[in-house]
Amino acid sequence: MTATEPAAATAASVLAAAAAATSSVLAAAAAAATAPAPAGAVAATGAALAARIGSFSFHGEATPALHGLDLSIRPGILTAVLGGSGSGKTTLGKLLAGWHRPGHSGTLTGSLTLAGEPLTFRGLEDDPRINPSAWSTRVGYVPQDAAAMLSTVRSTVAEELAFGLENRGTPRPDMLRAVAGTAELTGLTALLARDPATLSGGELRRLAMACAVIQNPGVLVLDEPLASLDAAGIIQVRDLINRLTGAGTAVVLLSQSADGLARSAGHWIILDGGTASASGLPRELIRSAELARTGTVLPRVIHTVPAVRASAPEPGAAPVLELEGLGFGYPGTGDAAREPLLRDLGLTVRPGEIVAVTGPNGAGKSTLLRHLNGLLRPHTGEVRVQGRSIAGTPTGRIAASVGLLFQHPRDQLFERTVLREASFGLRRLHGRGAGARAHEALEAVGLSGAAQSHPAELPASQQRLLALATVLARCPAVLALDEPTVGLDRHGLERLDHAVAAAAARGAAVVLVTHDAAYARATAHRVLALDGGRLREG
Amino acid sequence: MRAPSTLHPLTSLTAAGCTAVITTAAGTWPLSLAVALAAVVLARRAGAGRRVLGTAAAVLLPLGLSLLLLHGLFFPEGRTVLAAWGPARVTAEGLAFAWEAGTRTGACVLVLLLFSFTVSAPDLVAALAARGLPPQFGFVLASALTLLPAMAGRLERIRAAQESRGLVLRGGVLPRLAAVRLQMVPLVLGLIEESGNRAQALDARGFGAAGPRTSYRQVTDPPAQRRLRTAMLLLTAAAVALRLVASWPGAGPV
Repeated sequence: MTATEPAAATAASVLAAAAAATSSVLAAAAAAATAPAPAGAVAATGAALAARIGSFSFHGEATPALHGLDLSIRPGILTAVLGGSGSGKTTLGKLLAGWHRPGHSGTLTGSLTLAGEPLTFRGLEDDPRINPSAWSTRVGYVPQDAAAMLSTVRSTVAEELAFGLENRGTPRPDMLRAVAGTAELTGLTALLARDPATLSGGELRRLAMACAVIQNPGVLVLDEPLASLDAAGIIQVRDLINRLTGAGTAVVLLSQSADGLARSAGHWIILDGGTASASGLPRELIRSAELARTGTVLPRVIHTVPAVRASAPEPGAAPVLELEGLGFGYPGTGDAAREPLLRDLGLTVRPGEIVAVTGPNGAGKSTLLRHLNGLLRPHTGEVRVQGRSIAGTPTGRIAASVGLLFQHPRDQLFERTVLREASFGLRRLHGRGAGARAHEALEAVGLSGAAQSHPAELPASQQRLLALATVLARCPAVLALDEPTVGLDRHGLERLDHAVAAAAARGAAVVLVTHDAAYARATAHRVLALDGGRLREG
Repeated sequence: MRAPSTLHPLTSLTAAGCTAVITTAAGTWPLSLAVALAAVVLARRAGAGRRVLGTAAAVLLPLGLSLLLLHGLFFPEGRTVLAAWGPARVTAEGLAFAWEAGTRTGACVLVLLLFSFTVSAPDLVAALAARGLPPQFGFVLASALTLLPAMAGRLERIRAAQESRGLVLRGGVLPRLAAVRLQMVPLVLGLIEESGNRAQALDARGFGAAGPRTSYRQVTDPPAQRRLRTAMLLLTAAAVALRLVASWPGAGPV
C-alpha cells in the first residue's frame, strides 16, 4: 500500500507537533495524559479506545441518551455500530470523539480509556475536562453532514486540509508534506486547488474525512459515511476506509444500514434505545433478534421483497404530468462553458404511476424535479400538470397540485414545531380541515407523538419523515420525491413505502429520484436513467 | 467574476486608505472627481465595474440627496441667494459645499469599494495573520466577507421551501413584506443552529487551541511593494500635516 506511506511518514512529524499540545488533553486530572502512542504501539496494548458508559445525559434531559454501554475499539479493525434512528449512534460517536464533552455537553458516569490511559467520570464538578483540540488529534470524527466539518473560510481544498494544522502551529514544510500525503491517501490530489464549495457530495465527504485523517488519529469515527453517495462515491469511501484500517487506524462506522460496508466490519455493536443490545461478529449477528428489533436496514431484505407494491396504473388514463422537450442549463461559472444539464427531455406519468429516475451525483436529477413545481423554469419545452402548462404560474400556486420533497430535509423545515411545520400553507388548501390533514400526515409517518417537538431536534431520519409529511398533508396530484430513502432507518423506509403506495392508490403520479437502483426497481413501475440530459429506460 | 488584484493585499489596502485620506485632506473637488473617475476606470478594468458602481450608487445616492437638502437649502454661511422659500434658501455657497462634500465622499467610497471588490480575501487574511493579527480576527473578517453570500443562499432555500408549500410571492408590497417576515425567523434560527454545529467542528480542528499559529497560504510581498507602501504612508502623513498647517489659525471653513 504505497499510497499510505507518505501519509504515515508525514504523520510522525505532525504528531510530534501535536504532542506539545497533548499535555493539555485534560485541564484537570492531567497526570495520565502524555504524548500519544503511535498506532503500532497501541496494537500491542489492546484497545485504541475503550468506553464504559454507565450513563450519559444531555443537560436538562431527564432520560439518559446512552446507558449501560461497554465497548472496545481495536486498531486496524473496522467496528460497526448499528442501530435505527434515534438509537444514540451519533451521540455515542460525538462522545467518543470529544465533540460532546462530559461536563460541557452533558453528564457522564463511566470512563473513557484512550490508548491505555483511563479517564474516569463521576458526573461531578471535579471530573476531568476533555480538551477537544488535543483529543481530536487522537480520535477523529466526521459528521453525517460532511459540510459541517469545514471551516468555510478557506478558499482551496489544500488550505481547508491545512486549517487544523495551522491552528496547532505546525511548521509550514510539515504542513505541505501532510497535505500532499493526506491528499494522496484520500484521492484528493487532483482537487487540491479547487474551492471546497464546488465539490460534489462524494468529494466533500472525502475532504471531511481527510480533514480528520490529516491529524493521523489512532481512532476515526465516521457517521453514516455513505449517505447520499452514488456508486462511484461509495467505492471511493470504502477504498479509503480499507486503506486506513490497513495502516492501523481503528475505524468506527455509525450506520443504520447493514450494507456492504457494515458487513465488511470486523466487529459489530448493535445499539438500541441508547444501549448495546448485542455485540460480536457480523455473521453471528446478521440474523439475530437483536438486530431485527432495531430499525437497522437490511438491504437485501428490503429491496428484493418490497413490503408494499402499488398496483399498476390504468394505461388509458389521461396523464397527470407531462414534460415535453425540456431543456435547461445553469449559467456558466468561470471560463468553462457548460453543456445544458437537461436536453430535449420528455416524460409522461399517468395517475397511480410511480416513476423512478436514477443517475450518478451531478446528473441533474434534483434539477429535473425542481422543474415539476416551477422552482426552476425550463429554457426550452414545457411542463404540464393535469393537462395545463405551468408556465407563468407562480410556484406557490403550482404547489396545490405538485408536492416536492427536497433532497436535504433541513432545507425544507423552517417552523418552530413539528405540527406547525406540517400545517404550513394548508389552510388555503383545506380550510377548516387543515388541522385534521396535518395530524393525519404526521400519523402516516409516525410522528404524532412528536407534534410539539422542534424540527431541528429530531434525528435525521425523522426530519426526512417530517418533510415527507409536509408533502403528504397537501394531497398533491404529483409527488416529486428527491432521494426519499436517504437517512431513513427500516421503520422509516416502511412508512415511506406505505405513503408512496397510498398516494399512487388515490391516483397521484409519483416521480422519485434516487441513487439507490435496488430501491428504484423494487418500488417503481418504471425506472428511468437520467443520462446526457435525457431520460432513457433503465 | 471576481478579478483578484495582482498587488499584495496590504499594498492595495494601503493605496486605498492613503488615497482616501489624501483626498479628504486636500478637499478640492477637481482632485476628488479625478480620484473617483480613476477608481471607476480601474474597477472596470478589473472586471468589477458593475458591482462597484451598483454598490456605490446604493450608498451615494441617498447620501448625495441628504447633502443637497441639508447644505443646498439650509447653509447658514450662504450669502449668494439663488432662490428662497420661507426659511429655505438655495445659496451658491451651500451648493458648492454640498458638491465639495459629495465628490469627496464619493471618491472615498469608490476607492474603498474598488479595494474590497478586487482584493483576494484569503490573501488579505493570510497577510494579516502573517503580521501577527490574532487568527480569530482573521476568521471573523473572512466570515464577514463570506457571510452575505451564505445568508443569501440560505434565504433562497427557505424561500424555495415555502413556495413549494403554497407561499405565493407575487402581488404588491404587503405580501412581500409578510413573506420577508416569514423567512427571517427560520433564517436566524438556522444560522444559530448552524453556528452551534460549526463551533464543535472548529473546536475539534484546534481553532480554540492556545499557542502560535502558522499559515499554509503564503503571499509574496516584493520589496518594491514594501517601499511603495512606506512612500505612500509618508506622502499621506505629509498631506495631513500640510492640511493642518494650512488651516491652523484663521483659516476659513472647509
